[in-house]
This record gives sequence, C-alpha cells and structure tokens, in this order.
Amino acid sequence: MTFSISLFKIKFFEQSEFIGLKNFIRLFSDKYFYSALLNSIIYLLVTPILAVISLTLAVLVRDLNRGQNIFKTIYFIPVVTPIVISGIIWRYIFNEDSGILNYFISLLFNSKINWLTSYPENVFSVMILTIWRGFGYYLIIFFAGLMAISNDVEEAAILDGAGFFRRMFFITLPQLKPTLTLVFVLSGSSAIKLFTELYILIPGAPLSHKTMVYYLYHQAFEKFDLSYGSTIGIVVFIITLGFSYLNLKLIEREK
Amino acid sequence: MKFLKLIILYIILFIFIFIAIFPFVWLVSTSFKGAEEIFQMPPKLIPEKFTIQNFKEVWMAIPFGRYYLNSFIVTLFVVVGNIFLGSFAGFVLAKFNFRYKKLLFLLVIMSLVIPQEMILIPNYLILLNLRLTDSLLGIILPSLVSGFSIFMMRQAFLSIPQEFMDAAIVDGCNLFKVYWKVFLPMTKPTLISLGLLIFISTWGDFLFPLIILRSQENYTLQVGLSYMTGTFVDNFRLIAAGSLLAMLPSVLLTIFLSRYFERGIFEGGIK
Repeated sequence: MTFSISLFKIKFFEQSEFIGLKNFIRLFSDKYFYSALLNSIIYLLVTPILAVISLTLAVLVRDLNRGQNIFKTIYFIPVVTPIVISGIIWRYIFNEDSGILNYFISLLFNSKINWLTSYPENVFSVMILTIWRGFGYYLIIFFAGLMAISNDVEEAAILDGAGFFRRMFFITLPQLKPTLTLVFVLSGSSAIKLFTELYILIPGAPLSHKTMVYYLYHQAFEKFDLSYGSTIGIVVFIITLGFSYLNLKLIEREK
Repeated sequence: MKFLKLIILYIILFIFIFIAIFPFVWLVSTSFKGAEEIFQMPPKLIPEKFTIQNFKEVWMAIPFGRYYLNSFIVTLFVVVGNIFLGSFAGFVLAKFNFRYKKLLFLLVIMSLVIPQEMILIPNYLILLNLRLTDSLLGIILPSLVSGFSIFMMRQAFLSIPQEFMDAAIVDGCNLFKVYWKVFLPMTKPTLISLGLLIFISTWGDFLFPLIILRSQENYTLQVGLSYMTGTFVDNFRLIAAGSLLAMLPSVLLTIFLSRYFERGIFEGGIK
C-alpha cells in the first residue's frame, strides 16, 4: 500500500492523480534525502559501541556473586523511560548556556561544546542519548545469552591460565554468535530509523542534520506530501531489508 | 590480585550506575527547585528551598490531568487488547491445524519485521477515511493487537503439552473453556511479561500519536510534553515536574515486575 501511494499525488478532497515514478526520480535528485540517508548511516555507528558496552557489562554482572538483579534493574530504568522524557532531560543536560555538562566542561577546559546546534556535535549528542537508552536492554539480551552457554569450557580455560581477554575472544564470543546477531539486528534497525531522539533533542537543527524517518515525517506530516513521504518510506524499507532478513532467520530458529 | 580485580569490576559497574541514573537524579532535583535556583551556577544537587510549587503549576498551566487520563485510557485498551486478541490468535496457531495456517503465521511474522515507520502513512490514510484521526480510538485501533503479542503467546502455548487439551476435552470442556480455564492460566508469566512490555511501549509511544492527534484535549502525555517543551522553553522546572510524573508508571511497574521484564525481553526476543 505504501508503494501504491508513492505512485500517486495524493490530494485531499479530490481524486488523486497517477504520477508513476516521478516521486522516485525526485527523490534521487533531492539533496536533503542524501543528507538524511548519510546521517541515518552514521547513526549505525552506535551499534558496535552498544554491543561492546552491554556485552562487557553483562559479563561483569554475570561474575558478581550477588546483587545481579539490582544492577540489571537500575541499568534498565533508562530503557523503560518514555523516549520523549529521556530526550527532554538530555536536552537540558546538553543545553549550551545553562546545561550541567557544559558547566563542567567550561570548568575543566574553559570552553563550551555546542552539543545541540553544531554539526557533527549534535550527532554525538543523539548518539549519547541512544547509547544511554539502549545499553541496559542489550545487556539483558547478552546476559541471557551468557547464561545459555556452558561454563565447562570456560572453567577449563581458567585452569589452563587463560586471561580475561583471551577467554572473551576465543571462548565466550564464538559461542555468543546468535546473540551477537540478534543485538546487531535490533540495535542496527532501530539506529537507522531514529526519529524521536532528534525530534526532541535537536528540533531546531536544519533539515540537513536529520535522518530518513525524520525526513519522511517532515515531508508527509509537515508539508503534507503523503506520496513523497511514502516514497521515502519505501527506501527506508529497502534499506532495512537486510536487517529484516536476518531477523526472520532468527525467528525461524526459535520456531 | 583477585581483590584488585573485584575493585575494578565494581568501579566499572558503579560508573554505569551513575551514568544510568544521574539524569533522573538531576530531573528530580530540578523539579523540586524554586524559580531563582534553576539556572544557578554552580548547579546544586539538593534544592536550597524545597518546593512542590512546580507540580502545582504544571497541573494548572496545561491540561496535565487530561493528558494523563488519555494516556491511561489508550494504554489500558491496548494492553487488554493485546493480551486477549494475542492469546486468542496465539492459542489457535499453536494448538490447531487448519488450511492456510502456515500462510497466516507467515503474515504474523512478516508484520514483526516490517518497520512501523513504513506503514505509518497507509495507517494514517485509513484512519483519515474512517474519520478517526484526532481521536483516542484512532491510536488504540491499529495497536489493539500486534504480531509481537501473537508470536509471544503462540510460543507460550506451544510449550504446553497437547495432553492437557485432550484431557480437558474428555472431561467435557468446550474449546473456549479449554482456553480460558486450562491453557491461559498456565501462561500467566508470559501474560504478565507481555502486558508489561506493551504497557511500556504504549505509554511511551510518540510518533503515531503525534501524527494522529490534533486538538489539545486529545493529547497523550508524550505528545503534550513534547509541545510543552516548545511553549515553556526556558521553564525547565515545570517541564521536569511534568516529566517526572509522566515517567513514574513505566518505571515503577518495571521495578516491581523486573523479573517479568527480563523474561519478556528474551522470550519475545525480536521486538
């Protein structure tokens, strides 16, 4: 249905007009589309960062003798906080004149960072928010993955004197492959579809700083060009197909 | 050596505890501060003059109670809808054989992997044609059941042996009774996990309500708060008070049901 909408020029209160592939041609010469595409791809960088942070924490929490649940529960408070609210809080933390982050930075370095207005600084801010919101979630997934693999090999390796990092790379990671794929699929597909984070955190930033889903929203619901919005939707879908395919494979396995 | 390791381990864990909760501490502290304290430098964590004025003001300044009620209505219907419709469909898909079952299940799976953003515009147009935009029903209806709920319930029912069904039927239960009295109670942990996950995602849902809702009296909390940041740009203490009230249900539920939250994440696994 999205595809058929993209072939028409939707007019409210009137018969829509068939325009064929005109929207797609327009898309490929639209510089804002390219910047949105580029930004969405840049946001994929959070995927490996999230994986490293949450896997490390999952291993550390696993090695605790007690208090595992308390740590996990605190780590997933950011996960369950509504994203609008997280965005609001961080917008004030990042506030360039009165935010607490710039206060400490100005104490240490006597300068300020334009967390919200300059590019690419605002990309980092959005990434920080995304990582902050996500790490507790992937920690739980990794934790479940770690619980499922057997301890025997690892214990044997400890007896043989293998250090933490060697055990991690040669024993834990290979066994965690399905979990790693899952985390990669989940965090990658959500990173490429970022919207609310930008809508709340950097609403004033120019269109060239925004992502694909933001551009879809802008075209469809701010300029009311629903058919052009659908065209962008199709491209988002095609780009996420790879993730969808991997996701399907994982579901298959679970079935 | 072992002691040193333990110390490093705890240091890392506590750094992340700090990262995870500092923004909330800051939020709580700001929401109890007075007007003159808010942009004071250096910033203070404990308010000098502790006041609940901000909570009163935010309640007066915008129809906050109304937003709260709207969010509550939407979330309630969506959670109940997903639990019932999801378990109906999941039960049938797990326990019965019929024509086109494979195809139906494939459709459920497809709906899991298709990005929500892609079907945003078709959903909007359907609601427009039904004249349901700018109404709470317009948000509730498309979310009343999801592939996620059906899949999760199907997995739960699959793990219950077929013998229970046969025994119940021999005892004279009709199919609805088999579902209601025998199978549904056995999936209670999954039901709680599912309900919690749906609660959290619906309570925090933003993009769809933002598109559908136009008039202020229909706003959900998230939409209301996002517009509020536009109107009260420099009034962080009011926004902080509002945000604190708005995040409480999700966070408190998760803390009380943390076991189920964890369970839900790796049972559902795919959201």
